[in-house]
Amino acid sequence: MSSPSDPRPSGVIHDIGYRPYTGERLGEGAVAWSLFRTGVRNCFGLGRSARSKVLPMSLLGAMLLPAVVLVAVLVQAGEVLGLTGQIVPYSRYALITQVVISVFVAAQAPALISRDLRFRTITLYLARPLRRSTYVLVRLASLLVAVFALVAAPLLVLYVGGLLAELPPARETELFLAALVGALLLAAVLSGLAALIAAVTTRRGLAVAGITVVLVVSYTVVTAVQGLGTEEGMPRLAEFAGLFSPYTLVDGVQVWLFDVAASTPAPPTGRTGVLFLLTALAVVAGCVVALLARYRKATVL
Amino acid sequence: MSAPGPARDDVRSARPVATDGTVNLTVAWLALRGLFGRRRGILLVVLPLVLLGLAVLVRVLVDGSDVADDILYQLGLVVVVPLVALIATTGVLSSEIDDGSVVYLLAKPMSRFTIVTSKLVVATGCVLVSGAVPLLVAGLVLAPGTPRLGLGFAVGGLAGGLAYCALFAVASVVTRHAVVVGLVYVLIWEGLLGGLLDGIRWLSVTRWSAAITDEVTGGPALVEDLSSTYAIAATTVVLIAGTWLASSKLRGYSYTADE
Amino acid sequence: MSTLELDHVSRWYGNVVAVNDVSMTVGPGVTGLLGPNGAGKSTLIALMAGFLAPSVGSVTLDGGQLWRNEQIYRDIGLVPEPEALFDHLTGRQFVLANARLHGLASPGQAAERALAVVEMTDAAARTIATYSKGMRQRVKMASALVHDPSVLLLDEPFNGMDPRQRLHLMDLLRRMGSEGRTVLFSSHILEEVEQVARQIEVVVAGRHAASGDFGAIRRLMTDRPNRYVVRSADDRTLAQALLGDVSVRAVSLRPAGGVEVEATDFGRFSAALPRIARDLDVRLFEVSPTDESLESVFSYLVAS
Repeated sequence: MSSPSDPRPSGVIHDIGYRPYTGERLGEGAVAWSLFRTGVRNCFGLGRSARSKVLPMSLLGAMLLPAVVLVAVLVQAGEVLGLTGQIVPYSRYALITQVVISVFVAAQAPALISRDLRFRTITLYLARPLRRSTYVLVRLASLLVAVFALVAAPLLVLYVGGLLAELPPARETELFLAALVGALLLAAVLSGLAALIAAVTTRRGLAVAGITVVLVVSYTVVTAVQGLGTEEGMPRLAEFAGLFSPYTLVDGVQVWLFDVAASTPAPPTGRTGVLFLLTALAVVAGCVVALLARYRKATVL
Repeated sequence: MSAPGPARDDVRSARPVATDGTVNLTVAWLALRGLFGRRRGILLVVLPLVLLGLAVLVRVLVDGSDVADDILYQLGLVVVVPLVALIATTGVLSSEIDDGSVVYLLAKPMSRFTIVTSKLVVATGCVLVSGAVPLLVAGLVLAPGTPRLGLGFAVGGLAGGLAYCALFAVASVVTRHAVVVGLVYVLIWEGLLGGLLDGIRWLSVTRWSAAITDEVTGGPALVEDLSSTYAIAATTVVLIAGTWLASSKLRGYSYTADE
Repeated sequence: MSTLELDHVSRWYGNVVAVNDVSMTVGPGVTGLLGPNGAGKSTLIALMAGFLAPSVGSVTLDGGQLWRNEQIYRDIGLVPEPEALFDHLTGRQFVLANARLHGLASPGQAAERALAVVEMTDAAARTIATYSKGMRQRVKMASALVHDPSVLLLDEPFNGMDPRQRLHLMDLLRRMGSEGRTVLFSSHILEEVEQVARQIEVVVAGRHAASGDFGAIRRLMTDRPNRYVVRSADDRTLAQALLGDVSVRAVSLRPAGGVEVEATDFGRFSAALPRIARDLDVRLFEVSPTDESLESVFSYLVAS
């Protein structure tokens, strides 16, 4: 420490051995990777308080539970009931459990994205060797992977169960992989839309409400129109209606690409399928572009 | 610059206007301004527009009276009414509690019950305008021959909305994540489980409003085996108990505990 | 109608004790609540405003209970610390709404008067979202004054104010106090409290450390000796030398080791001790105060 009682009134700066960090500095890639990992973990409440684990974990459980039950029935009573395939086809599972998925997306996307904007902690992120666009893409990727994990986990359970129940492995693998592609696309569309809405509103409650409205209302309207279309003999209308809800959109792409069991009464046929695929990709791309644009506007200070 | 003596007496001894009573207009006005001064208002406009849009679309394409029931129930009662109630109630109550500006309402000689009811009046007004009335109009659009259909759904929707608002008010006072809690309740309890398990109808606001609708329309039943008397009684109980509980919790509000 | 009384009040949250056995009386005039951050000032104000219930003890206004009692707000005006306001309203609308919520007979007049007192009449037509921090504070003050309360509680009111606004606010508070109102404000900045409040309550780590006239407390600091325990490599030599310094009143050698020193002038002592130790080439291992509460109050009040 400094020596006291020095009669001269001048000031001195003491060398107490301060040394700057001279070790290895990881680049932007490492920063992005750790941000990505934290994002995915936070979506499931890991690395946060106990209370924030409750919702995502219960939702994950809610997604897995039916799959476990189905597999149990298949394995135990498959022969008795004469089951030759999965009780619920892989491709239909996501649509059946869509409420759980919607709640997850609506609850977690704002927690991941709106919070930084609202409280301006984004400045902390951007003051690192991290470009703005990288930050946005990493956040989106975290959400996407989290949603994908949520959707794919029960599919994995079904697959393993199917193998245990001695269903033909080649066919099961084919169906499983097809469903995984569908799950990936679904995760992309959902997370793109949710992230965009969450980034636009910044108030968490409003973002949750907005995402819910978009996902739930679109699905209800689309099913109503599709039901109407098939019953009243307007198949084209029913097919096109499927474009307007993420769930039916992705389901349509799945059916058209892989010819799997459909969840909607009017899956696309022939060239309409191309439209579905293009729309899905366009939605994802559009959301990414819009997100990047929105963050460019976000004032940092 | 207030002169100490005379001005003080002037302000304080003048007969104060009663702020108690069931509804305080200023609280209601503040709530209304808060709701539409921010972007929540957009959602409250979008939802009824979608409902009406669908009704018009269906009417244009087919003779709507067959499917009117289905559409009004699935989109109107199950989706639009609860979401409008959630957005409106959390908009007037939850956001203020979250950021602490509710302390300006609480630091007044006004009973907490008045505060809650005034805000609920605004919220149910929104349900009326964005939920019940569009249901009525959609019903008339889809089935102009049977006006009782639209009316029934409007009444049922309003009743359900009242119960929902009371429930979400309690959630807003009790937790900081009122919107998510309300969402889980609406989508999972009412939506998913309500569709799967029949017994839920005794405890499901949507089923109660459906029963009330049945009573008014007199048409094919939306929900089986649920008397409208029970539904009306249950709705009233939830409304009163919810309002009372929210007020009681609000009396115990501590503003430093949130920091 | 204006004496706040806290009687052996404690408040804890789980394991954390925010306020620890505080008893104080706040009467008419300006009282400053002084203490470092985290000392429990906000908690105390919340207790006095009826927004928190004490875990133990009682808080009363003229004998009446504050918790769960809405009628007290006729006489209490609160200027809370959080910045959240109704951003979408104009300043005038906000103050007017507050006036109406109080049930005043002529809310418009009262609102204008309150706005004039805080000098916000010009800016009152703009939305609160466009206000600077100091302007928000003033609007909050206006909303607390609009019903002419006899008790005014302000939580960190000088936060974010520039010097001119601060002077103005101090002037305002002094005026309120001289009108016979009970004004209590909290701050962690010594100078603010010094210039406005004659009566201060010092709160440190949840405990009520000192109370009374500012000048008197300061005098107590110098009159009452501070006690320290010094452990060193050579106690006896050190003790001998310390007694030779004017700032030391008494020394005694502890049987278990260490020198107990009674110092009257802490400032001088803190300069003298290391100098003496160095001159004698005696290494000091530990210097700690035994009179803890006074140390904390002191270092707080006189630190410069």
